Amino acid sequence: MRNPKESINQQSASSDQLLAFMQYLRGKKIPVSPADTLDAIEAAELLGYSDRALLKNGLAATLAKSSHELKTFESAFDEYFKLAANTSAAKALVNNEEPQATPNPGVSPSQENMPPENAPDPLEGLRGNALFDSLESQDESALSVAIETAAAEVRVEDISLFTQRGQYVRKMLDALGDEALRAAAIEFEQSDPAAFEAVQALREQLRERVRDRVERAYLIHASAQTEDLLDESLSKLKLGNIDHSQMARFKRLMERMARKLAARHGRRRRRYRRGKLHVGETVRKSVATDGIPFHPRWRKIERKRPQIMAICDVSGSVAAYAKFLLMFIYALQDVLPRTRSFAFSAALGEVSDLFDTLPVEEAIERVNLKYGGATDYGRALNDFSELALAEVNHATTLIILGDARNNQADPRLDLLAEMKARAKQVIWLNPESTRMWGTGDSEMLKVRQHCHVAKECNNLNQLARIIDQLLSERR
Amino acid sequence: MPNTDYPSLGEINAIQTAFEGAGYICTTRIATVVKLAAALEKPVLIEGPPGVGKTELAKTCATVVNRPLVRLQCYEGLDESKALYEWKYGKQLLYTQLLKEQLGEILEGAKGLSESMNRLHQFGDVFYSEAFLEPRPLLKAMESDSGGVLLIDEIDKADFEFESLLLEVLSDFQVSIPELGTISAQSKPLVFLTSNDTRDLSDALKRRCLHLHIPFPSVELEARIVASRVPDLSQSLTDQLVRFVHAIRSLDLKKAPAISETIDWAKSLVLLHAKDLDGSLVLDTLNVLLKYEEDIKIAEGQLPKLMATTTV
Repeated sequence: MRNPKESINQQSASSDQLLAFMQYLRGKKIPVSPADTLDAIEAAELLGYSDRALLKNGLAATLAKSSHELKTFESAFDEYFKLAANTSAAKALVNNEEPQATPNPGVSPSQENMPPENAPDPLEGLRGNALFDSLESQDESALSVAIETAAAEVRVEDISLFTQRGQYVRKMLDALGDEALRAAAIEFEQSDPAAFEAVQALREQLRERVRDRVERAYLIHASAQTEDLLDESLSKLKLGNIDHSQMARFKRLMERMARKLAARHGRRRRRYRRGKLHVGETVRKSVATDGIPFHPRWRKIERKRPQIMAICDVSGSVAAYAKFLLMFIYALQDVLPRTRSFAFSAALGEVSDLFDTLPVEEAIERVNLKYGGATDYGRALNDFSELALAEVNHATTLIILGDARNNQADPRLDLLAEMKARAKQVIWLNPESTRMWGTGDSEMLKVRQHCHVAKECNNLNQLARIIDQLLSERR
Repeated sequence: MPNTDYPSLGEINAIQTAFEGAGYICTTRIATVVKLAAALEKPVLIEGPPGVGKTELAKTCATVVNRPLVRLQCYEGLDESKALYEWKYGKQLLYTQLLKEQLGEILEGAKGLSESMNRLHQFGDVFYSEAFLEPRPLLKAMESDSGGVLLIDEIDKADFEFESLLLEVLSDFQVSIPELGTISAQSKPLVFLTSNDTRDLSDALKRRCLHLHIPFPSVELEARIVASRVPDLSQSLTDQLVRFVHAIRSLDLKKAPAISETIDWAKSLVLLHAKDLDGSLVLDTLNVLLKYEEDIKIAEGQLPKLMATTTV
């Protein structure tokens, strides 16, 4: 039998870990509510902490709410416990306060390098310093214990920003007693270059370990906040300025926003409007009231989803924005299934097929290749009229993305006016800021008169807001 | 705090063996979730592609714990009068007609309206009592005194409003009837909800459930499943067949064949006394496996490649 008190201690230590893990999951965008936390702890205690695979299954059942979250959960679980494994092994040593003597028989590297002759060893003065000794003899367990103690002393788990790492490394080094080694190093720098090198090498090792420890703490405790910060700034960044290195993160962010919108509006779509009287149902209901129809029942009419036609300028100046608009719309296919897309710079063509058959990114590449060039709105609108105007009806929303800079040519506003008359609404999205509208060759001030909505749209937040409004509108 | 109601669901190994005995091969993940469901008294939300055995899991569970299975099939327009309870209106009407004379006797000699009313009040709400209550699946599951298994099938087909209706049942195992009060479960049933993921369920519903995602099984697992369901099929043919199905699933199909289709196919091969999986046999029976003409065309085009995967 184990000492019950001990097992309780162990249990609470484990549930502490579990709580830290939940924090980590929230950072990975898996929403974990307090109730979920309680369930997870209960499940974990039931299943025990010893069998990792079992624990993973149990926690997955209580914490991951969809197959999408399940994937994130599984990778997060593996990552977290890999990170935590090192830390907790050391922690266990600290708690027991009896580090097992590491079998590190006699020959430590520094001893090997010792000069064989009996010259007075300049490092002798440092011997007896616990930190120096454990560094010199490479005593892993003693070092781990020292580092964990220092970590607890400076509360390294409070780290919240990436840039604080240096500061915490310094604090921990101070707590470890690096000061004495530094003083010795300064002393040797002039008098004994060899000894200086030796001490510096050991200090570098120590610094390396400490940095490692701080980074682990950062990953476990703070990366979530930093991620939020990055996401937030990215969603406000001009789409044209997003560079290649940020694309992966940006795509994740966009997919998340699209999922959110789809979930919100997917549901609202299913609500019904009152239609014709449902005679059978009404009569059945009226049985309760002796045949008097107190509760009329109605046939249900499913509300139609808006049909979207997106017309995108893919000429150099706005190509990047068109790309993001199309990516966003196609990420929303669940709620916007009948989207058709057209691309133009001078000539205009339908590109829906490309998006149906190819992955979005590849399709966009193709579109740019095929229709890129100098802009001519007049010709593009003309092409559109011939191609698809007949299919524009009161259910169609036209989204036109472009800067309305037409190189002084005739923008054919008459065609735009006709489109406005036929369509449910015409939305013009301009990546330029409102201040720039109408300057130079911009026709935007004239164009906006022929649109229901004309908006500046150059970052993800604005884009999401516009699509959100579009989906919330009632017919 | 092991649940005493369902002693057979205590240990994971025991669950696996018991389920296997009932003809359901389950992974450790499935067994773990079943154990948690029994111990934590929480409903299980099972998601996964159609035909991987979501409904079967609940049925098998009922067999294993030897309790009745109450099944509620969801569909658009399902409401409380079909899921929870309904008053027996016809019976109420009939009884009022029959009891008219009794009423006359009771009211005899009463002076004025208020005295008559008072007399009537003495009899309480006779017409809104349990005798006139028609229990529907959810209420039936609550009323069973030895627990049981409640299967709410294809919850994603029901309306959003219906989910809210379920919340009380799922979290507190009780049903509120305005005229009668709250009816709580005598013994808490094991609840399984299945979803084909055609839409997102509400967070409130998800929060109350344990989650189990059943994917298509691995080759080994599926071979075991087929062997347990269709024992007449030879070992080598089972292996060939399962490998073929796995190859087909990797094609871009409208509907990939699920375990139930694999089993159907295995059964038809037994009926045909097949010894070996060859091209013409596959062509003749492909319609058991694939349910769409386009899919069959695609598979036919890839047949030589698919057949190659069946030989080790």
